[in-house]
Amino acid sequence: MSEAQQPLAVQKVQEQYPDAILDVSDARGELTITVRKDVIYELMAFLKNDSELAYNFLADVTAVDYSLMEDVLMKYDYARFMVIYHLLSTEKKERLRVKVPVHEKALSIPSMTSIWKVANWLERETYDMFGITFEEHPDLRRILMPDDYEGHPLRKDYPLRGRGERETFNFEQQNA
Amino acid sequence: MGLESQLGDNIFTTTIDKFVNWGRKNSLWPMPFGTACCAIEMMATLASKFDLSRFGAEAIRFSPRQSDLLIVSGRISIKMMPVLKKIYDQMPDPKWVISMGACASTGGVFDTYTLVQGVDGFIPVDIYIPGCPPRPEDLIDAVIQIQRIVEQESVSPKRRRGAIAS
Repeated sequence: MSEAQQPLAVQKVQEQYPDAILDVSDARGELTITVRKDVIYELMAFLKNDSELAYNFLADVTAVDYSLMEDVLMKYDYARFMVIYHLLSTEKKERLRVKVPVHEKALSIPSMTSIWKVANWLERETYDMFGITFEEHPDLRRILMPDDYEGHPLRKDYPLRGRGERETFNFEQQNA
Repeated sequence: MGLESQLGDNIFTTTIDKFVNWGRKNSLWPMPFGTACCAIEMMATLASKFDLSRFGAEAIRFSPRQSDLLIVSGRISIKMMPVLKKIYDQMPDPKWVISMGACASTGGVFDTYTLVQGVDGFIPVDIYIPGCPPRPEDLIDAVIQIQRIVEQESVSPKRRRGAIAS
């Protein structure tokens, strides 16, 4: 893909943040960019505030544990997790998926709550399921699992049937 | 003309047990605990096509303190189970429990870290309904079976049906 054919979002991000983009892929018209973690907060703010892009709606925040996928691990310097943002521009009718490799050694990423308020609960869910810390999140607690739950169940090394929590869960301390 | 005009000055004799149970079984007050697709079937059972009011159990109230039949219809997660237990505890005696569908009874296909594998581990269940989800007819059948259990109750504490420890 030559420089001129790149989608507008890729062009503008490359202009603004050279070397930030690690990979661009297009699956049936759905654009995905993989970017470095160190500029992610500024980059996301740029995607929202730029008048030509205007990704004003954060549709979802989630993560993927790639620990069983050797080819993906090799590509991104053995970063175990990938935090994924789904963006939508209600004005331009454009969608964009932003993926950020996150190493297990530095398991944190800046919170997007000050850009999109909706990121609050979405990031709490990602924290709950994967144990990824969102820096400067106003209220980083578990959202789906009980407060005293141990472990992060969507990690690939977590057993499907759990570690016996469903028999030994705390009956009293819950806000029943 | 009502039946009483045929009776004249006659009287009926019965036992207190039979009289009370007759009243109880024909006016069950279900507390619906719908957490999944079984609840949709429960709503269908209450609606006009299947019409649970034919069996006197149509007065659904979301108030455990005024109910005597708990219908657990749906998956119960480990976070929800204390809520269900609290609702069960709030219901006045005598009370009965229907575990509706595979998930409430056994966990169903959701053999995972987060789901209680059958609510009978935590609250006593009188009738289990198989199915995923069960048809409304199955729920009606369960209510009729609950009515048969109610018939065996007694107002005397000494003759109470084997009270289930909570």
